[in-house]
Amino acid sequence: MIPTLSELRHCFEGAVPSVIATCAPDGTPNVAYLSQVHFVDAEHVALTFQFFNTTRKNILVNPRAVVQVVDPVSAAHYRLQLEYLRTETEGPLFESMKAKLAGIASHTGMSKVFRLQGSDVYRVLDIECVFGESSARDAPRQPLLHGLRACLAELVGCTDLATLFDSALQGLERHCGIRHAMLLVHDAARARLYTVASRGYPQSGVGSEIGIGEGIIGVAARERSPIRIGYAAQEYLYSRVVREGFEKSTAGDALETSIPFPGLADSGSQLAVPVSCGDRLHGVLYVESPQERRFTYEEEDALVVLAGQLSLSIELLAHTAEHHEETAVAAAPPCAVRGAAVAIKHFAADHSVFVDNDYLIKGVAGAIFWKLVRDHADAGRSEFSNRELRLDPTLKLPDITDNLEARLILLQRRLADRCTCIAIEKTGRGRFRLNVGRPLTLTDVPGR
Amino acid sequence: MTTETRLPILDETRAQFLSHHVSILVASCNAACMPSVVRAYGCRVAPDRRAITVFLSVAQSTAVLRDLGAGGAIAVVFSRPTTHETLQLKGARASIAPLADGDRELTLAYGCSFGEEVASVGFGEPFQRAIMSGTGEEAVAVTFTPAAAFEQTPGPSAGQPLAVKS
Repeated sequence: MIPTLSELRHCFEGAVPSVIATCAPDGTPNVAYLSQVHFVDAEHVALTFQFFNTTRKNILVNPRAVVQVVDPVSAAHYRLQLEYLRTETEGPLFESMKAKLAGIASHTGMSKVFRLQGSDVYRVLDIECVFGESSARDAPRQPLLHGLRACLAELVGCTDLATLFDSALQGLERHCGIRHAMLLVHDAARARLYTVASRGYPQSGVGSEIGIGEGIIGVAARERSPIRIGYAAQEYLYSRVVREGFEKSTAGDALETSIPFPGLADSGSQLAVPVSCGDRLHGVLYVESPQERRFTYEEEDALVVLAGQLSLSIELLAHTAEHHEETAVAAAPPCAVRGAAVAIKHFAADHSVFVDNDYLIKGVAGAIFWKLVRDHADAGRSEFSNRELRLDPTLKLPDITDNLEARLILLQRRLADRCTCIAIEKTGRGRFRLNVGRPLTLTDVPGR
Repeated sequence: MTTETRLPILDETRAQFLSHHVSILVASCNAACMPSVVRAYGCRVAPDRRAITVFLSVAQSTAVLRDLGAGGAIAVVFSRPTTHETLQLKGARASIAPLADGDRELTLAYGCSFGEEVASVGFGEPFQRAIMSGTGEEAVAVTFTPAAAFEQTPGPSAGQPLAVKS
């Protein structure tokens, strides 16, 4: 039986190199190996344009080509009759192939040689089975669809963002066997992404940041497209991205690199999927594995569905939080304050906050923290609501589309990571409590 | 009788390279410049290195054999998976003949060597057997004189015509 193009995606992962035959107008054939065959949709594939070689020359004057791909399990051979349509030099398809090529180049020691100049898009005219049977249907695989279903079922019951994020990452581990994952939230005003949840790393890395367009996560965010790399690609690894970001940053931005990324030092496979709703980017879901070629098109599909559900849940929870804030419950007795005073220093210029000279947080989350500890010190307050933060003119919060809840999660988790005597405890929908265990000494350093 | 005075395009080392441990793909095209491609199961190099013969499964090569039979030109790429060393040969035409004495043995020996190569890049025994299953099929010998050779190992010199060593 002739498979569909979708059923052949596992032959495009590069385990067995594919070959392309083209023909010059004078009838001279040419046959060459391909770095990758990229599945575009049910009727199109894209091939890499790296050099102006004979294949390239041929397809520009004679658009017909035939590609032979091999099933990496059964060794079945398939021929795809192709017609060249166009070359894309920017956008999601290009960036996705560029990242994948970087992984292949790194794997084969060709980093300096392979550079993507364009993505050549072809229409698939015909598929022919040369010999063998596809392994796609009967190979024993982890039942991903079942795992995804279980993941999604657990998201349904989540009534706040923190639980939603944690459930998603926990579900990936429990039901899909994906053990290293993180969620980053988009800070549109600063064109950056900050980590709010992670799983499978020695350090949570909450609060660590990456710029839009930087590394695999930043590129996925910029292009609103999933990016998947099957080998360690040096230029997309965190360590490299963060180091370069640090080198480029001015002294004022150095704090951005002061929270280390939780990512694996020697990641073998990476997959970053944007969490977006229409034009609005909420963040990026990122998974990785020390194993090479761990993620296939199947995992990519599953994570795109999961990210879609996450984004809808984020929208729904934000709407609910704004419109259905719970009324205040009776304040709990304040926890005992004892011990030596803790020095809290706030720099108004960037709202960076230091606790006993250790960096805690900055930006909007830093401004919120400063308001909370001030109100606690001045008025003895411990109970707060999201609404009052939203309405507080001193905080200058971005508009309603900004995810205040995500910033509170960030603050809550940074405190849990870095500070034993101050904690934020959720007390209801849109309400929380500031628990302070030691006396506070507040110092405000005015900005320019 | 004419005597070929030019040096063969392949030196002894490259002639050796073609015969074992390499993946071999053969392409041709029809009069309308529609390309065709198929895997070959082994290669024989003439003692004077001026004629190259590749072995094709008849069942798998319908389009390629039809195109070559109609006078189409030939291109063959040889690549060694463990080193990425790759060479492409081109000829203006090819002749198709039954296997000669000893060709079946050459095919089987080639199948063993390529199986070893595939194993050393991580594929198991079932895959090795399956990818070389064509070695047992009805086969023909396709012979051509390489008129051009191209270095295709990924790198700065990929695509360059091979320099003929004197």
